[in-house]
Amino acid sequence: MFHKLDGAKLPLGLRLICSAAIAALTAVLIAIVILSGPAAPGLQAEVAAQLARSGVDNPVTAVLLNFRSYDTLLEVAVLLVVAVATMPAPGRRLRPALAPTGDMVLIGLIDLVVPVVVVVGAYLLWVGAYAPGGAFQAGALLAGAGVLVSITGRFQFSFGALPARAILALGLLTFTVTAAAVALQTGVFFQYPTAAAGVLILFIEAAATISIAATLVLLYGSLVPPAREQESGP
Amino acid sequence: MNGLQLQTLLPWLVALPLLAAVATVLLQRLWLCRWLSVALSAAQLALALTVLLLLPEQSDSAARRYALGGWGAPLGIDLYIDGFAALLLATTAAVGFLLSIYSGAYFNEADKAARFWPLWWLLMVALNGIFLAADAFNIYVTLEILGLSAVALVALQGSLPALQAALRYLLVGLLGSLCYLLGVALLYRAYGTLDLAQLALQAQAEPLSWAALGLITVGLLLKTALLPLHFWLPPAHSSAPAPVSAALSGLVVKASFYLLARFWLETLDTAATAGGLQMLGALGAAAVLLGSLQAIRARRLKLLVAYSTVAQLGYLFLLFPLAAPLAAGPGIAGAALDAVAYFIIAHACAKAAMFLAAGNIQRAAGHDDIERLQGIARRLPLSLLAFGVAGASLIGLPPSGGFIAKWLLLDTAIDSGQWWWAAVAIGGGLLAAVYVFRVLNLAFAGSSSTADALRMRRLRLPKTLSVSAFALALMTVLLGFNALWVLDLLDIGAPLSYLAGETP
Repeated sequence: MFHKLDGAKLPLGLRLICSAAIAALTAVLIAIVILSGPAAPGLQAEVAAQLARSGVDNPVTAVLLNFRSYDTLLEVAVLLVVAVATMPAPGRRLRPALAPTGDMVLIGLIDLVVPVVVVVGAYLLWVGAYAPGGAFQAGALLAGAGVLVSITGRFQFSFGALPARAILALGLLTFTVTAAAVALQTGVFFQYPTAAAGVLILFIEAAATISIAATLVLLYGSLVPPAREQESGP
Repeated sequence: MNGLQLQTLLPWLVALPLLAAVATVLLQRLWLCRWLSVALSAAQLALALTVLLLLPEQSDSAARRYALGGWGAPLGIDLYIDGFAALLLATTAAVGFLLSIYSGAYFNEADKAARFWPLWWLLMVALNGIFLAADAFNIYVTLEILGLSAVALVALQGSLPALQAALRYLLVGLLGSLCYLLGVALLYRAYGTLDLAQLALQAQAEPLSWAALGLITVGLLLKTALLPLHFWLPPAHSSAPAPVSAALSGLVVKASFYLLARFWLETLDTAATAGGLQMLGALGAAAVLLGSLQAIRARRLKLLVAYSTVAQLGYLFLLFPLAAPLAAGPGIAGAALDAVAYFIIAHACAKAAMFLAAGNIQRAAGHDDIERLQGIARRLPLSLLAFGVAGASLIGLPPSGGFIAKWLLLDTAIDSGQWWWAAVAIGGGLLAAVYVFRVLNLAFAGSSSTADALRMRRLRLPKTLSVSAFALALMTVLLGFNALWVLDLLDIGAPLSYLAGETP
């Protein structure tokens, strides 16, 4: 399926012309950017001025979850597109699981590491309000723990089941409902009441973390080729 | 009071399909998904029509803007609507409603249906989001949802050609998105804002904005499949499931064209050069001719319809030379937008009807080899009628919507003194007649082979499939009779506002 698309069969001359064209285009773009002088001031000052009203102290989180929360909502929707495209059919039987590994080191490591990862993930989620961190980082970390657990073969995630589908959709559902619900109070979608903004942002991020982690584990599971599953048996 | 109402409806146009997507992920029973989706599509249509009806009362542009989160541009993100956007939203909702009814009957495998509905609703989120967008980066995010859900919907077919086409579509779409994003980054560097209205005020004719416009144009042209960049469209649109093909050809490619029109004629109009506008028109003219010739040569029915999309998209690009501020007065430029917007709506209905009819034929006959479709009209009269009526609209025969659109286009071309674009429109119509009548000739002449007849007696087509294809074809005729009403709506808020002489 891939060999028809790759460019290896293109004649050498054409490849050289393409490379030269791309290099020239890049050079022109770089020249334009350099010659155009200093960049416009941007919106940093504006963000700093409104930060106190955003409910968080970290400007990145304030932009992602308050000032431009609509974009973040749609990014969570992108994750659901990916999840729906790759999730197994509802009720379909699981693929043959990895044989449970007898690797005592791996099992011992997981018993130690996974609880720590969960705690660190929760910390990252929490600290996002003040310092670098937040839903995407925490979700990626939790997904790492999920991948570790699934390669032991002792547990298997069944993403066709209803609870799993609920977890995958949880982030988008929570985000959309919150955005609409605050409109009852303030009259505007996404306008959190200033006093409650911090709590609402944490609430949305917690739900998004769970969905992000689940989506990444689902992706990992669907990328493992069947041949490797058999190889890694005892 | 009404002003408040119109604004408060705007975010629901995105929230409703988002909630529908979540609901269809959670519901396990497929019949429940199906009927919920049909009901929610009806609600979306009602919402879009309400917006369309409230719009004429809003002449003030502030009343047509919704600041999400209450921050307002440039810090926050706004939603913005005018006549052009509202008509495209209503078209999306109307075509989407009929396609939902069709899809409910079309997908009878549990796995495909369970994936189809959430992806379908996310596609609606993206389309509505793009038409309401007033922020350059927000457009990037909606384009990502649009591209990924469209690819996943093509891949739903599961056949090898569909998967290959989907993969190519994915790569082209990603390249287009990245070009667009690079352009947006340059704009932010130059002007320090992402809001389209503020960019329009600040943008100047300088190398940085030319580079940004160039990158945005290449990115969006890849997604719109204008002629030299159309290579991915025929395989993707012809191998997808029928309702998906209909949505891709009818609605999805129009979304990126809509953005091109916004950027060239509104947001970055100061950076747009006369040469660039003429070149887009010339590429469009080439697309009309070469796309039609490819459609005439196509062997498979769905491929023919897909190449016809390549050709019909070419007409839309005549907007750029006809609306060129240097060549035409403000009145003519507004007329060019009228003509092209009418073209978009008429083509959306006609092409959706045509793909559904082609899907019905493929399902009933078990193939879509044009040579073997002899006498199929006897088996599928309603689907063939839908195909014929839609074809008449593509050719531009009265009393269809396509006729009005082409008439307006000819009128504008001659008024602006650029008669050669009129020649393109007429030539394209004649070529369209060749490929439409080639199919109809075969379908109505002769009798079908016995093997096919036997197969078709066994396989009865659900009535919903042929009726919804016919309903879409009927819409093209209704558009032909209600042109004035549609055109009046289009001028609300003077879309591409400088065209009406309201230069800020």
